[in-house]
This record gives sequence, structure tokens and C-alpha cells, in this order.
Amino acid sequence: MPQTETATGFTPETFEAFLASRDEPTWLTEQRRAAFAAFGELPQPHSGMEEWRRTDIRLLRLDKYAPALERPAVDSLPAALLTSGGSTSSIDEDLLDQTAPLVEQLTGVGDTPAETRLALAGQTAALNSHSISSQLIEEHAKQGVIFGSLDQVVTQHPDLVQKYLFTRAGDLRYDRFAALHAAFWSGGTILYVPQGVRIEQPLYIQSSITPGSADFGHTLVVLEEGAEATLLAELSGGEEAGGLHCGGVEIIVGRGAFLRYVNLQNWDNTVWHFAHHKALVEADARLQWTVGALGSKVSKVNQHVALVGPGANAQVNGVMFAEGRQHLDYHTLQHHEAKSCRSDLLYKGGLQDQSRMVWRGMIKVDPGADKTDGYQRNDNLMLSDDARADSIPGLEIEADDVICTHGATTGRVDDEQIFYLQARGLTRNEATRVIVAGFFQQVFDRITIPSVREALGHAIRRRIREYE
Amino acid sequence: MFHAVARTSEVSDPGKILVEVEEQLVALFHVDGQFYALDDVCTHDGGPLADGELDGCQIICPRHGARFDIKTGAALTMPATFPTQSHEVKIEDGQVYVKLNKT
Amino acid sequence: MITDTKTDSNFDVSTAEINKYDFRNEEKYIFKARKGLDEQIVHQISDMKSEPDWMRDYRLSSLKIFNQKAMPKWGGAIDLDFQDIYYYIKPSDQQGRSWEDVPEDIKRTFDRLGIPEAEKKFLAGVKAQYESEVVYGSLREDLAKKGVIFTDTDTAVREHPDLVRQYFSTVIPNTDNKFAALNSAVWSGGSFIYVPPGVSIEFPLQAYFRINAENMGQFERTLIVVDEGAQIHYVEGCTAPMYSTESLHSAVVEIIVKKHARCRYTTIQNWANNIYNLVTKRAVAYEDATMEWVDGNLGSKLTMKYPAVYMMEPGARGEILSIAFSSAGQHQDAGAKVVHAAPNTTSQIISKSISKNGGRSSYRGLVKVEDGARKSKSNVVCDALILDPQSRSDTYPYIEIAEQDVTIGHEASVSRIGEEQLFYLMSRGMSEAEASTMIVNGFIEPLVKELPMEYAVEMNRLIELQMEGSVG
Repeated sequence: MPQTETATGFTPETFEAFLASRDEPTWLTEQRRAAFAAFGELPQPHSGMEEWRRTDIRLLRLDKYAPALERPAVDSLPAALLTSGGSTSSIDEDLLDQTAPLVEQLTGVGDTPAETRLALAGQTAALNSHSISSQLIEEHAKQGVIFGSLDQVVTQHPDLVQKYLFTRAGDLRYDRFAALHAAFWSGGTILYVPQGVRIEQPLYIQSSITPGSADFGHTLVVLEEGAEATLLAELSGGEEAGGLHCGGVEIIVGRGAFLRYVNLQNWDNTVWHFAHHKALVEADARLQWTVGALGSKVSKVNQHVALVGPGANAQVNGVMFAEGRQHLDYHTLQHHEAKSCRSDLLYKGGLQDQSRMVWRGMIKVDPGADKTDGYQRNDNLMLSDDARADSIPGLEIEADDVICTHGATTGRVDDEQIFYLQARGLTRNEATRVIVAGFFQQVFDRITIPSVREALGHAIRRRIREYE
Repeated sequence: MFHAVARTSEVSDPGKILVEVEEQLVALFHVDGQFYALDDVCTHDGGPLADGELDGCQIICPRHGARFDIKTGAALTMPATFPTQSHEVKIEDGQVYVKLNKT
Repeated sequence: MITDTKTDSNFDVSTAEINKYDFRNEEKYIFKARKGLDEQIVHQISDMKSEPDWMRDYRLSSLKIFNQKAMPKWGGAIDLDFQDIYYYIKPSDQQGRSWEDVPEDIKRTFDRLGIPEAEKKFLAGVKAQYESEVVYGSLREDLAKKGVIFTDTDTAVREHPDLVRQYFSTVIPNTDNKFAALNSAVWSGGSFIYVPPGVSIEFPLQAYFRINAENMGQFERTLIVVDEGAQIHYVEGCTAPMYSTESLHSAVVEIIVKKHARCRYTTIQNWANNIYNLVTKRAVAYEDATMEWVDGNLGSKLTMKYPAVYMMEPGARGEILSIAFSSAGQHQDAGAKVVHAAPNTTSQIISKSISKNGGRSSYRGLVKVEDGARKSKSNVVCDALILDPQSRSDTYPYIEIAEQDVTIGHEASVSRIGEEQLFYLMSRGMSEAEASTMIVNGFIEPLVKELPMEYAVEMNRLIELQMEGSVG
């Protein structure tokens, strides 16, 4: 159901209509108003701004989209929802049999034998930024875990949401998209895990859009002291007709807590994707954060990890793959605000066709953040002569007792390896797939959830084209 | 495939406008009665060429002053060292059409 | 006469470390333009130099560009009032061909800096620039006979107009950046070098730049053309006394290295700690040519300088070796740029930086590979040492790759002096300061060993001075 005819953009009128459609606490309405005011005041990003120099959004027309006012009809659910997460537009026919939908791979449903399925502790689903369903295993609900639609939880637990929403891990004035998101977020998911509660099985969030629609989902994750959880999030949809994602993720990993978080962006290659993700990692807490960037027409993402308590530890994994004329621009920040923290980032990118990829990473070490161990690495594999990869690692160090290192490489598939594999009876395409798989192996090895590893591997393999 | 992008009368001579063709931004130039089209991208720094100044058949990138030949896209001066993509233009009945040349 | 000035008490310890260069001469000038920058000043400079119209027009158009361009939004903080600077000071009415011809106080300046001594020992030619003009120039006779031209750029505009017009501003157009535009409007002095095909100059040519006056802006313009198969090593040094207000040094250096030619350009920058050093340096290298920048930055309040090599034809090679040492009140925003615009081109960047006593060292660099520059190879290694908790180190490398068949690597690390290393040396009887100095010297060894012997000695001595009084 393309909304192009009815979409009216993000004007004061649509904003008031949006507010009127919602029954929200006053503080939230005020927060939205402040954000909408900021949206009006902040400049539209343009290539003259250092952060936007490499991503041209002059063709983005916000008036083609609209806030989520009406709940979409259930029959407009895309086929992708819950059963298929991947765009199938670029799949080789002979590969279809190996290409299980991403969600099935993530969760292990579908063709996978029942005994190897990944059992979930809960899941939420949203379509066009409206919550469609949410479930949580009873056992965890009794422990005080809250997992569900942020829209609903904000009315059930307003104080809890107020304490965290855009207070510590979100800056609604960061730029115009951050403000737009904070004004219009809807649907979305909250995960709150009380002190000491450990959730063994993953929780799963799916957000999808119908072609031409917008997703403004917000994710808020709070792990109290000593809590543990695994959260998988996937964004998909928007087939052919495009769409807009203007999202935000706020994560707080409390003292000694451990969060594994996977965020897979797998929109159709026609969708605009803008997002601000920030995690605060407190003393002795651990965060393992994996980002998959496969979809969208244009992506501009800020991923920010702040190590705010001594002994905090963050591992950041990025798997990026671009094809066609996709343009993926991911900015990462590892901010060491406290002593004795460790951060370790590895982003790997594969590029084919005329795609373009930008990774810009920064390790920032504040004065006094001694015994910092910071690492960042970006490797890009060029599969086409017409692709372009920009890699911009960075260090800003204001403490002396630190070890900070970064590395970046760019190269192509090695002809000798191809030749060797062909001599072993593989076709050129098969050989290329093997080599690309080898290239990504290093980052897959760090992802401790087997189903996620496999899903990403499949998604990349099926994207690789025939080469002569 | 040619796309109608403007009426000839919409672009002064000499002059330039920014047009959209197949979800790409193209700088359209009108000099001495002829029309030319280039990617709206300076190959040095990604700057928007249509915002630059025309000097005869040269467009000057507004950021660092690299010059490009509007007829061919050739990079004429430092700091640019690589041509920008030129596109086909035709005029019919006062209408300007552009066809993208893809690499 | 030379008037030695003791450093003011409000200057910190790092000032004292460079006080060898901190002496001032009484101002005795032939001509000193009023402060400020406008068309009248530009005309005045052009009049003083009796320039052809094309150069006057170029200056005037550059001034317009300067006024239009915004200040850079990145790099260091620049707090300069462009109307509070002297843009042109002529210290002498003629250029000396021998030291005896140079005015006494200026001569004694360069004597103190060791220039004539160095010339006798190991240089093939010397230029000495004092404020806006070159006051002394020499070139060994045999080189002149081979057709080598080594003169100040003003003289070159008069005596070699065709050569100058052919190359001037082709590598760095006046539109390139705000400070290149400024230099293009008010440039004065600098070296012009032409090395004919096949001529190899074994000994370095040297230029020495000295700012003496307060609020002085020095804007030398250097143009070097190394013709096919020729070779040259050019060395520059620079110093100034310490004043309580800032001065500006903003040079433009353009280099053309033709087929099979080789050029090495070495800089030991030791400006006083109140000088803004905002310099654009760029070389184009053609088929199988090699361009090497050896760039040492010790002085200045803020340096923003990123020597560049554009590899225009197959087989070209670019190498940049950069060292930055920043102490209290200093920000060295230095680095390197390499652009691979042709196949089979190779580049290497090695950067070493040291931050101490609250200083800030930033590496800022670019590796760019154009579409079609197949088999390009580039390797970048940046190492930074932070010597105390007050100091800061940044690394900002930009890597832009538009070609598949490339091998590109970048590594950087930031750390402090290893305690084990320190303990080891101290257990051998060294003081902590001595041990630190030894470690720092080892850290910059890759750069120092590329310097001519006399400079290597000088460099080590400067590092020792910078290190004095630092504890671990």
C-alpha cells in the first residue's frame, strides 16, 4: 500500500494530528514538542557539513512520507514479516534452494530441524511503526522483565520510560534526523531486565514496512546490575517502492551486566535509512554488539558506544555488504570516558557493482581514562572496479596511559586464490564465494550466536554475483 | 533512455541548473546555444558542480576550484585528476532530454 | 646590531628550550607596508616588485578568493586578525651574492644560525629569506653552467617568465584553500628551482627562512621543476624570535617531478611558539618519478601542513616521512596526502608524533586511489607517543578507494613510553629524563636517519632540548 498519494510529510499539521492520535503522558508530549521544535531549527544536513560530506541526501523527499497515524490493515503485512526477512530481488535462481529467509535463519524456524531451532524468550513485531504483536515467556515476566511495545509500556510504566527515554543514551538535538525521530517515534520496543535476572534465550524484534511507508521505531534497552540478555533486531521490507527509516536505539548496560545485541538492517535496496544508536556500558559490564548492514538505498548511521564505568568492555562487530548503487555510511564512536575499559571494533565490508561504502570510526579517550585498551579495524573487499570504499579510522587520545591501535585495509579477491580453487573444480563464482566467506570469517568468528553467524553468511553469499 | 528534464527556455545562456534523472543528480549547462550534462559531482572531493561558476565551457567546483570541461567531463586542473561522468543531451521541440551514460 | 632578549617570565619552559633562535634584531627596513590586507596593499606589493600585469591580476583575483573562502572548520583553532598583520616588509634593497653584501645585522643573524658555515661544508646552493625578501643567494658555478636555476621566485618572474608562467599555480591553484589564496595574493620571496633534464645535484640546495618583526606575515612561494631524469634534494629551515603576539607563516610550495626524475624536499620547522604555520605543499609526479617529503615539525603555535604527492602517471612513487613534536601551547596538525591517479603507483607514509607538556599532535592524512589506478599500493604507518596525562594525540587518516585491484594498508597506534623499557634503561644508571630522551630518539630514528648528517645532529639536539625538564 504505497502511501505516496496520501503522505504529507512532517509539518506542524501532521505533527498535531500525530499527537492527537496518541494517548501519552504529558512529559512525553512535551518531549516530542521539544524535538519537533529542534527539527524545525536544525539545518537540513548537506554535503558542506563534515559529517555529511560523503552522503548526498538531496534526493530525499520527506514529504513523500508521513507519521504513523493509522494502524495498517493486517492483510497488508508483507510476506517478509516473521517468515522472510530478505529481499529476494537479487537472488540467483540456482541459489534459491540454499536461501532460507533471514528470519528463519536467525530463529531456526522453517526448514531447520526442530531440535536445532533457536528458542526465543520473547518477540515483538511492528509494521509501519505500529506494534503488531509482542510476547514474553511467562517465567521472565514474573521476574519483572519488561519486553514489549514501547507505545504500550510507556502508559503501563511511565516512570520507568521517563527515566531513560532520551535522557542518557539519546540526544534528540544531535542532528535533524535525531530530532525528527524523537518527535515522531512510534511502535518500537523496550527491554528492561531487573537486577541479577539472566535471560538465556534470545529476544527478537522485527520491524517492517509496506512499500512506500516509514518506520520510526525506537528501541530502549536497560539491563540493571548483573542482568544478562541477548537481543536480536531485524529491519526489513519496503519492496521496490522504497520507504524511510528514521530510527533510534538507546542501550544502558548496568554494572556487571552483559548484553549481546544484534542489529540487522536488511531493508529493500530502495529504502532511506537514518539511525542513531548509542549504548552506555557501566562499570564491569559487557556489551557484544553486532551490526549487519545489508539493505537500504542510502544509509547514514551513527553507532556510539560509551564506556562510562571502570572495567567496561565492548566488542563491536560490523558486517557490511553493498551492491547495485547502494550507499552505506556508518559512523562509529568508541568513547572511553572511564578508566580501565576495553573496546574492540571490527568492521568488514564487501562491495560490488557501483556501490559505495563509508566507514568512519573514532576512538575517543577522555583525560584520566587511564589503562584504556582501544582497538578498531576496518577491512574492505572490493568485488568491482566501479565500487568505492572510504575508510576513515580515527583516534583522539587525551590520556597517556593507554594503548590504542587501529588498522584498515582495502584489497580485492586474489586471482591466485581463485585460480587455485578453480583448479580444484570450483566455478569462478563458487571460488569467489569461498574467498568472500573467508574474508568475513574473522568477524563471524567473533559472533557467538551461531544462528546469527549463519544468517549473515547466507545473506552475503546469495548476494555475490557471477564474475567472469 | 532519454528523459525530459527542462524546457530550453528555463536555462539561461550561459547558465546551469540541477536536474534529476533516474534518481541521480545531473548538472545541466547551457553555453553558446548548446546544452551539456555532467554528474553533479566533483571527482576531487564530491562537491556539487552545479553550485559552481561557469567560465566559458568550464565549470569550477565551488569547494577547491577544480575545473571540468562541460562538454566531456574532463578534469582540467588540480586538485581534480579524474574526469566526471558526462551524459547525452538532445533537444526536441524546445525540450531538453538527458540520457545517462553509465560506466 | 643584535639585541638578545631574555624570554619573558610569562613564557613557559618550552619557550626556553628553543631560545637559541629567540633573539631579535632592531627593525631597520627599506620598506614596511602598513598593517592590514586589501587591494591597495596587494597593488603596493606588486608595485615594489615591478611585476607584469598577469601576476598583479593573479594576486588581485586571489585576494577576492581569500575573502570569499571560509576558514577551515577542522584542524587547529586559528585566532588571527588578518588586519593586524604586516603583509610585506622589505629588509634590504638588494640581494647579496656574497655574505659580505648582506646588511650586517641580517648577516649576523644567519651567522648565528650557522648558514654560511653549512654552505661551505655541504650545500650546493643557499637562499636566505629575511621577512618578505630573499637577502642572500648563491649557487655553485658548475650547476649554473649546467642550466640549473636557483633563484628567488620574484627574480624568476622577471628573468624566467615563460618557465614561471608554464608551471606557477598549476599544482596548487589559488582556489585550493583559504591560505593558498592568501599566499597567492601577497606572496613574496621563496625559491624557484629548475633542474634541466638529466642533471643530478648531489648536494642539497638550502633555503633558510627567518621572521624577525612582530606581527609579521611571511608568505614565501616556492616552485620547483625537476625535468626528466633529473635529481634534487632541497632543504629548508625556519626560525623566528618569540613575541607576545602571533605572527603568521603561510607558504605555498609547488613541485613538478617529471618522468624518471627524483625530488626530495626536507623541512625542519622550528618556528617560535607563537607562529601560525599554515602551509600548502604539493607535488605532482609523472612516469616513474619519485617524490619524497621529509617533514619535521618542532616549532610553531599551530602547524597545519599536509605535504601531498599526486601520482599522475604509471610507475610514479610518493614517500612521506613526517615527524611532529608538540609541547606546551603547541598543536601540530601535520600529516600527508597521496593521490594515486595512475596505475602501478606506490606510496608510503610514515608518521611519528610525540606530545608532551600539554601539547597536541594530530596526524591528518589522505590516501586516495582513483578509478583505473590499478595495481596501486599504499602503506601508511602512524605511531604516536604521549609523554604525560596533559597531552593529546589524534589520528585522522582518510582512505578513499575507487579501484578494485589495489593493496592498501593503514596502521596506527598511540601509547606512552613503556615502563619496562624505562626501568631497563634506568637500571643501567640513566636518569628518567635521559632514558625518556633516549627512547624518544629511538622512536624518531626512522626519520632522523633520512636527514643529511648535519640536520640529523641538529634534529637530535632539538629533540633533546624539547625533552629537557620532561619527566617520563
